[in-house]
Amino acid sequence: MSAVLQYAVQGLAAGSFYALAALGLAVIFGVLGVVNFAHGAFYMLGAVAAAVLLDTLDLTLWWSLLVVPVLMFGFGLVVERLLVQWLLRLDPLYNLLLTFGLTLILVELVKQRYGVSGLPYQLPGGLQGRFDVAGVVLPRYQLFVLLFSVAVCALVWLTMTRTRIGMILRAATENPELARALGINVGRWVAPVFGFGVALAGLAGVLAAPFRAITADMGNNFAIILFAVVVIGGLGSIVGAVVAGFLVGLVEAFGQAYAPTFAQILIFVLMALVILIRPAGLFGRQEATT
Amino acid sequence: MLEVTGLSAWYGQARALHEVDVRVDEGEVVSLAGRNGAGKTTLVRCLIGLHQQASGTVRLHGRDITGLPAHSRARAGMGWVQDDRGIYASLTVEENLLLPPTVSDRAWTLARVYETFPVLAERRKAPGSTLSGGEQQMLAIARVLRTGARLLLMDEPSEGLAPVIVSRIAAIIRDIKATGAGVLLIEQNVKFAATVADRHYLLSQGRIVETLDNDEFRRREGDLLKYLGI
Amino acid sequence: MESKRKWAGASALTVTLLLSACGGGGPGSSGGDFTGGKLVLAVLNDQSGVYKDASGPNSVKAVKMAVADYQKKYGDKAVVKKIEVTSTDHQNKPDIANTKAGELYERGGADVILDVPTSSAALAVANQAKNHKKLFLDVSAATTALTGAQCNKYTFQWAYNTHLLATGTGATVTRNGGKKWTIIYPDYEFGQNMTKSFTAAVEKAGGTVQETIPTPFPNENFATFLTKAGSGNPDVIGTMQAGGDLINLVKQFNESGLKDKGVELAVGLMLINDIHSLGVEQFAGTLFTDPWYWNMDAEARAWADRFLAETGARPSFEHAGNYSAALQYLEAVQAAGTDDADAVVAKLEGKKVNDVFLRNGEIRAQDHSVVHDANLARVKKPADVKEDWDYEEIVTKIPAAEGFPPAEASGCSMTS
Repeated sequence: MSAVLQYAVQGLAAGSFYALAALGLAVIFGVLGVVNFAHGAFYMLGAVAAAVLLDTLDLTLWWSLLVVPVLMFGFGLVVERLLVQWLLRLDPLYNLLLTFGLTLILVELVKQRYGVSGLPYQLPGGLQGRFDVAGVVLPRYQLFVLLFSVAVCALVWLTMTRTRIGMILRAATENPELARALGINVGRWVAPVFGFGVALAGLAGVLAAPFRAITADMGNNFAIILFAVVVIGGLGSIVGAVVAGFLVGLVEAFGQAYAPTFAQILIFVLMALVILIRPAGLFGRQEATT
Repeated sequence: MLEVTGLSAWYGQARALHEVDVRVDEGEVVSLAGRNGAGKTTLVRCLIGLHQQASGTVRLHGRDITGLPAHSRARAGMGWVQDDRGIYASLTVEENLLLPPTVSDRAWTLARVYETFPVLAERRKAPGSTLSGGEQQMLAIARVLRTGARLLLMDEPSEGLAPVIVSRIAAIIRDIKATGAGVLLIEQNVKFAATVADRHYLLSQGRIVETLDNDEFRRREGDLLKYLGI
Repeated sequence: MESKRKWAGASALTVTLLLSACGGGGPGSSGGDFTGGKLVLAVLNDQSGVYKDASGPNSVKAVKMAVADYQKKYGDKAVVKKIEVTSTDHQNKPDIANTKAGELYERGGADVILDVPTSSAALAVANQAKNHKKLFLDVSAATTALTGAQCNKYTFQWAYNTHLLATGTGATVTRNGGKKWTIIYPDYEFGQNMTKSFTAAVEKAGGTVQETIPTPFPNENFATFLTKAGSGNPDVIGTMQAGGDLINLVKQFNESGLKDKGVELAVGLMLINDIHSLGVEQFAGTLFTDPWYWNMDAEARAWADRFLAETGARPSFEHAGNYSAALQYLEAVQAAGTDDADAVVAKLEGKKVNDVFLRNGEIRAQDHSVVHDANLARVKKPADVKEDWDYEEIVTKIPAAEGFPPAEASGCSMTS
């Protein structure tokens, strides 16, 4: 029993990364209609940025959680203005080509600058150690990751449902043309939304830095699972992205525990089942934000 | 109020509108009738600013808005009631009402909207997806009124609705007219158009072929029905 | 799936470095016994992926150092004046390695291919060497098949194999009290091979392997695998992960609290670059086999200083292994007076060697395994680190006869 509980906590902690990053992917897809294949690279950049900030400026995780998303937001704005904005009127094939090409460039640049072996990272003291509750070992940092991501997801959800900005973004997601005809300058939101999605991926990267290998390639496999998450949740669905993120984390953990060889395949089996039963994902487009 | 001169529109090589002139004055309801494919929807999309491949000028309150993007036209006072009502399924009734910015001091308050459309008040927290067709139409009209738009482009407001609701909508259009706003009514339902409009344009193959006042329009109702293929 | 495709798309990088044309030295002094009048050493390895730092471009530099040393030593007496070192990226893929090796032997004029990490890629190159009757000196691949079932006359394995890692780490840790093992391994050729070797070594030393846990590859999340491994209360968790996966696993092992419960972590294959990138804090106390350590004695250190000046980094055992392989190859060419592969092989076979890399080394004729003394190392505590790259403390020497399996047991029969 305690083992099951432990697997669940580990699964949810791993799911936190998926949930945060998938949330960014969903927001971007919703408003821009762009499937951002560079999301794994942005996640990697977040982790690398955290490692570099710690190494050069002695900025600990606490600062990185604040600073890196801001940097990534700015980076996202630049990428949107320079590159992504030209995609909006083009065939979706081009968005695959562009964002995928961008991934290759970013990964190679990081390899050139920081090598392939990875970068070191140390947790601040306050997050080291573990709680031992009735035989369940709960590493502090895993709990922190879990709570932090849930808080961020909740904040995003509240913003989307309770604020005027959220209302506008939901409208722009559902029918951008009508929103424009109703007097809303949808174009003004495109770059910030892209930047925000990139910032979320970067934030997931910062959280991953202390217990994942920080290498240029760290986003590659992550991105593959991320797309399974988004398909399971429903492309463009915010709630779907978060729920599916945690779900995939759990599937991964219990897969590792009870069918180790199939741990990763299970995720794609789940994806296939969802596509068969609900092609639009667990939370299809129209229920995007309810 | 609305002055359209020499409006032409294309889809690639195919020309959809030929030098169309349309005029709507303050406190006037003007209908635009024509068969399917005559160019009604294209005309509306040109006016709203959603169809780019076009030439000619569009003036609103004497101001040339031809080069403005859609959202600026809306802010200049153009209100669109879409033919499929364009209600946001993921927004509540109230959010649908609050979504567009107010554009003039004639804007209705939420209280006035709810007073005029009690059914919307009852369902203010319901998602847009749960409304009936009639309720959606009410909401689409109310949404535009709340912005204070001075020119309403109403695309097929009576389509698919029960007679009792159609007459309710007719009453609302007369109320709007009474406030001094202009309405361009895209309508195939000749009987309905005759009950609310002052003037009528007949659109055929992208051209305005006739302009009729309401008396003449009523007189030729039978002809027109045949002509419109209804 | 998508990420795989991109590597195929990335074009292989081939750089040719003309090392020495011997100034304006007139033709005729050499050439008759050398195809094309020159000797070509082709380094085929990972120039861009996960093994780039452990071997990669710096192995090319190590080979160039060997060429320079050879030329310095023999000067005008060198039997060949023109020596080229080329570098080719195989992206750790057997199919690419196979094609590139064929091209190098046929059109690239390569007399010898060096390095080739990744077992499946190395086996493909060995097959090409056999077909082309040209030399292949493997340094960075670990599979025992190279000197076993798939051995051939033209292929040598220079630095290490899974058996060495297993006896070094598995047997020594078991004898030191780590009796109960659980092994976590990546579910592919190398991981399975390592797990087999470790299990045999642990059991031979009187321990038991109570569980082996396969994992996907690559994989980021090992938390649950570790919990599962820890639930059997083992003395030691052995991990056969390498590269980024190893770093993931070690980070999550430290996070898991298993260390506090007294569970030791033994690593199957680790390179000094792994420690360098992750920092000694994370690895402190970890036991592993290192075939060669740059600071293990004065001779190694002297060479490592030259390497540092050349590359800005301390060498891994793979860098030193490439230097040694190239140097011994050149010595054999010098002795044979030709680049003819059969003649060079005859000079290499059975030779007893001591150089920067090889201690008590012997190029075994029976299976072409280059056996030598290796080390069991422990990662230092941060407080004990005195300089950059000072990460290892040598726990004990693993004599060649113990670390490498006897030639009779290799299963190798030279048919060509």
